[in-house]
Amino acid sequence: MSMVDPAIRSGAWAAGSDAPEKTEVRIGFIPLTDCASVVIASVMGFDKKYGIKIVPSKEASWAGVRDKLVNGELDAAHVLYGLMYGVQMGIGGQKKDMAVLMNLNNNGQAISLSNQLKAKGAVDGASLAALIKKEPREYTFAQTFPTGTHAMWLYYWLGAYGVNPFTEVKNITVPPPQMIANMRVGNMDGFCVGEPWNARAIRDNVGFTAATSQGIWKDHPEKVLGATAEWVAKHPNTARAMIMAILDASKYIDDMKNRSSVARIIAEKSYVNTDFDSIEDRMLGQYNNGNGKKWQDANYMKFYNDGTVNFPYLSDGMWFLTQHKRWGLLKEDPDYLAVAKKVNQIELYKQAATQTKTPIPKDVMRSSKMIDGTVWDGKNPKSYAAGFKVRQS
Amino acid sequence: MKTPVTPSESPLRILLVDETFEHAALLKRALQDAGCKIAAHVSASADLPGLVAELKPDLIILDTESPDRDTLENLCVINRDQPRPIVMFTHDDDSDKIRAAIRAGVSAYVVDGLKSERLRPIMDVAIARFNEFQAMRTNLEKAESQLSERKEVERAKGILMKQRGWSEEEAYHALRKAAMDKGSRLGDVARQLVEITELLG
Repeated sequence: MSMVDPAIRSGAWAAGSDAPEKTEVRIGFIPLTDCASVVIASVMGFDKKYGIKIVPSKEASWAGVRDKLVNGELDAAHVLYGLMYGVQMGIGGQKKDMAVLMNLNNNGQAISLSNQLKAKGAVDGASLAALIKKEPREYTFAQTFPTGTHAMWLYYWLGAYGVNPFTEVKNITVPPPQMIANMRVGNMDGFCVGEPWNARAIRDNVGFTAATSQGIWKDHPEKVLGATAEWVAKHPNTARAMIMAILDASKYIDDMKNRSSVARIIAEKSYVNTDFDSIEDRMLGQYNNGNGKKWQDANYMKFYNDGTVNFPYLSDGMWFLTQHKRWGLLKEDPDYLAVAKKVNQIELYKQAATQTKTPIPKDVMRSSKMIDGTVWDGKNPKSYAAGFKVRQS
Repeated sequence: MKTPVTPSESPLRILLVDETFEHAALLKRALQDAGCKIAAHVSASADLPGLVAELKPDLIILDTESPDRDTLENLCVINRDQPRPIVMFTHDDDSDKIRAAIRAGVSAYVVDGLKSERLRPIMDVAIARFNEFQAMRTNLEKAESQLSERKEVERAKGILMKQRGWSEEEAYHALRKAAMDKGSRLGDVARQLVEITELLG
């Protein structure tokens, strides 16, 4: 099959005769609520329908996920969007061509602050910024990976309130399951992480939710299904089958009557390993910020939303590059559009979406308005990256 | 300029990160027998960035499956001026996997239960590989930045030629003069010109 011209191969696939090159795939995941679609695709057997078997593999660190993707121990992974672009550009480590097959979820991350800060009146971005200026000391904030999504939400949020995350506060990386313990002993003032860890901070009485990620960017991209470009080139049919199985799982999870049972499955020891209650509420959009406010959030964690969640918009990929540049992780402007076109596998995704009757957006770009009022639509990435008042380069 | 970490006859100072202390005891003894000095042995959720800054170890050794790897990742990215070589140890002696990991950029792997006389050469190789990688990185960054500067100058020249009807040489001289007058670099002046033109677009 490898000798056959790719155009003919995709034609052969359209005729339904192209079998997966590899039938068993190991997909890495980190214990977080948004690993749900990968887990459900396997647990509920959506993978079998497309001739593959997904073996979810629980991983201990994002660095480990990256290394295992690069050295082939994992076929694909539930991985931070920004990390994929960090590896593509060789930020802080090896450089390798990567492939984003689909976005896995929108929303459902948050920034928590310690109860000590709450006692001092820092309950949101503005009051936190005021406290930092009024009572200077070394304030420490944690994210989950230097090029990842949580780092970018945290930096964006602090920047929106005029706080430089590199010069005015200390910023560190802490693995998600260690966030709460670190906050309890006073090692940090705040953190940005995926659920269930923000809900757990409230239950464990160490912190509260100062901002949700959907409040920073409504329907932001988050985790992706990632692999190396080399792997995808060798296994296009398997890659397409994985996307189709996970699209089916995503539809299933977004049917709200299935959400509680999904929460119960992923809370298990082999997946997120936490109590069911910490996961369920926010999966249903029932938010309590731990500071007297309760609401039904319309922009809760979504996995499908008629396919708008999963389409690998080029503007989403480019956004992470603009932020890497903004914060000096990239020293030079890359060719934003060219990099995103290379990484995001639009064609493969479209084939999978067509096959699963998932609606495909018309445009490869989308327009989003952020918490600070700026609009990102994929145009003029260079001036967008350089246009922030708070930035490192 | 970063000072390279030197493999030498002096004892290597090592920061060992491991949750299972009894397991690490074996590795610790082997390292000491190999002439290494354990600067510190810590478990998860210690203040790793602080420790690395304070101890400046020659090597950091940690378990491949340790969640603390991400903490160290931050050090590599944020404090680019003070990178330290990182060595993984693993309980799994599948040599193909280890070879693949080393190709992927991890400085070296130590397999659980390795004999002490074999440890020191591995550590030295790890440091040598790390220094090589750092040198390559610095050169690459320099080359990339020069390339991108040349591109900016080309674009700025193009703009001036088009808008002012100048020859290539005239455009270049105008740019160089502007740079000299402002005491800035040619690349910076070119970039500013390109950006302003884009803005007025």
